[in-house]
Amino acid sequence: MFLTRSEYDRGVNTFSPEGRLFQVEYAIEAIKLGSTTVGIRTPTGVVLGVEKRVQSPLLESSSIEKIMEIDTHLGCAMSGLTADARTMIDHARVTSQNHAFTFDEKIKVESVTQAVCDLALRFGESMENEDAMMSRPFGVALLIAGIDELGPQLYHTDPSGTFVKYEAKAIGSGSEAAQAELQDKYHKSMEIKDAQILTLRVLKQVMEEKLDQHNVQLAQVTVERGFEILSDAQLKEAIDAM
Amino acid sequence: MADGHQHPIEHRFNPYAENGGTVLAIAGADFAVIAGDTRQTEGYSIQTRYAPKVFKLTDRAVLAVNGFQADCSEFVKRVMQRIEWYRHAHSKQMPLKAIARMIQTMLYGKRFFPYYTYNILGGIEEDGTGAVYSFDPVGSYEREACRAAGAASSLIQPFLDNQIYFKNQTPAPGAAPFVPGNLPIDVVLPIVIDSFTSATERHIEVGDGLEMFVVVAKGRDVSQLASLNAEEIPATNPGEERVFIVRRELKKD
Amino acid sequence: MDHFPLSWGRPRNEAVDLYSTYPIHERQRHGQQHDAFAEGVQRTQQPLVTGTSVLALKYKDGIMMAADCLASYGSLARFKDITRLHAVGQYTLIGAGGDMSDFQYLQHLLNDLMIDEYTSDDGHKLGPDEIYHYLSQVMYARRTKMNPLWNTMLVGGFKDGQSFMGYVDLLGTTYTASTLASGYGAYIAQPLLRKAVEGRETTLTEEQARAIIQECMKVLFYRDARSLNKYQIATVTERGVEIGDAISSDTEWAFAEKIAGYGGQP
Repeated sequence: MFLTRSEYDRGVNTFSPEGRLFQVEYAIEAIKLGSTTVGIRTPTGVVLGVEKRVQSPLLESSSIEKIMEIDTHLGCAMSGLTADARTMIDHARVTSQNHAFTFDEKIKVESVTQAVCDLALRFGESMENEDAMMSRPFGVALLIAGIDELGPQLYHTDPSGTFVKYEAKAIGSGSEAAQAELQDKYHKSMEIKDAQILTLRVLKQVMEEKLDQHNVQLAQVTVERGFEILSDAQLKEAIDAM
Repeated sequence: MADGHQHPIEHRFNPYAENGGTVLAIAGADFAVIAGDTRQTEGYSIQTRYAPKVFKLTDRAVLAVNGFQADCSEFVKRVMQRIEWYRHAHSKQMPLKAIARMIQTMLYGKRFFPYYTYNILGGIEEDGTGAVYSFDPVGSYEREACRAAGAASSLIQPFLDNQIYFKNQTPAPGAAPFVPGNLPIDVVLPIVIDSFTSATERHIEVGDGLEMFVVVAKGRDVSQLASLNAEEIPATNPGEERVFIVRRELKKD
Repeated sequence: MDHFPLSWGRPRNEAVDLYSTYPIHERQRHGQQHDAFAEGVQRTQQPLVTGTSVLALKYKDGIMMAADCLASYGSLARFKDITRLHAVGQYTLIGAGGDMSDFQYLQHLLNDLMIDEYTSDDGHKLGPDEIYHYLSQVMYARRTKMNPLWNTMLVGGFKDGQSFMGYVDLLGTTYTASTLASGYGAYIAQPLLRKAVEGRETTLTEEQARAIIQECMKVLFYRDARSLNKYQIATVTERGVEIGDAISSDTEWAFAEKIAGYGGQP
């Protein structure tokens, strides 16, 4: 795709003659540089897993935060420029709280996903008198997991503001191999424990380092307990079970 | 003037009026009745004999609104608009308790220039039970088994307290204790009609016509409504909750 | 960050938001211009030059409306050749009581509205129902700004074989009925109108309707000190809006000589 590079790849709000927005496409490319992130939906809950790249032995791996809570029934894992995700998750959290305040009910997973995606295309030049917007597209993709009246759901969002529902999805640098593995091993009637193990196996396959409790993180949203990031003990148990 | 000073008489525009009428709602186990008279007054004048005060919002929610007519119709319009926006945003009908909470935020949003409206929301909850929510003009709300509001609320509420909440009644020796909110529909509807005929007798702002909306839970038997000439309002989602309307004349004097 | 999507990408000046689409609550606008003269602006606190009652009824061919030609300045009969009935397009008639300058403003507003609608030439023609709702929104918006248009108005019309009659006032209060009377007429004429019309809306002939209206206007002239025995009757029917010339009722005042003091004392 870099062969078609032209003056059209600079303006964030200028289509190329072929009808493409290069900056958005480049943003989607940025995700492929991010660490691998996996999400699996089961009938009783959704599991999210991320690889934490520990670049230095002096780095505190617990400070790498790639899975975040949106609400008690919603969680989110990211890949790409994780700093960009903060803006999106902040918006998701406010939207969710605001929905709960106004309607006395938990927001639907699709609605909160839509709310996040509404942000994605708010880049470019702003008109006179208009509130300032972002200068470039987000460079991050999200896996949004949650449970509502329609059951456990997993959504994938990308920098173009498109969102799609998945049974299982991998994003980030190892996503191609990981997605192939998911397609091979996923089945609809998985237990949550099976999903945890499959997540770890998929991550292990695409990781350069040896997988241990310091370089991966697991989280899940279940009917009984809502969103939770697995504790060190739970994570170790899952790794041992793998 | 006595003190030798000329004071200009302060005239301040009063943005409110009181347009009479009365509304009530009663919840059953799997139905709710929401009713209101159709008279609209200002002072001692009857403005019209037919001004509806009860509105179907969704297949399972009906809102009765009473107080200052201009605020009432503005408020109902805005509620309906928000319900439609919600339907587009979340691809589902707004649940009853969500409507209740939304109404509270809308009312409180005008805390310092309130809608002079007393709202009663009735319908079917997500769990299939009949429910009534009542509000004050600035948004305080609670779920109840029954509530009367408006001009004749002070006449009707004590009657409902006795008949629906069984206040000042004692179960017969050995009989089961009273549980409010479980009366059958053929007991509830006559209570509603009697409430309004009585209020019409004793309150000058009540009368002309009566509109009773009956919301019934999914799959509930509706044969008792047939004898009352109930007219069904077509549902947006057939096979779910249903809304009927029963009309009665009230004295016009 | 502003988390409310409906305030994204909006010009900050509220005057540009034609449709007032803020959904959640009135939002604080940045850069809103402060009106340096706001303190000096006077709002209508009371009506000055006023019109009294307007009457209207439904009959079999459409609707009939009447209002006298007087605009009073307090108790002074100031202007005696005022028209308080106003056609809006070919289907609608409005009759106004209350402040006459506010009414003239509304006439201009409605004329502008009708011109906009005419020039858009989209095949839609505003009928009485639409005018009624438009007026009620204008009146309610002004009362909410604590700056009311001090009028009570009857809107009558006939379109697509349907009669329409509605009431709008300075508070934005609205209602429809088959007989309407504003001002003093609500007390004096409305009972007479109801007795004569209710249940006979589809059978009353134009002659019968005219007789009822004339009787009511006469009674009002006898009893309302702010009325004038010179009034117009208008109809809206299949033929469109027809506002008649000013007429008067025959009155009998001989009995007045025999009245002494308050009430009929010998």
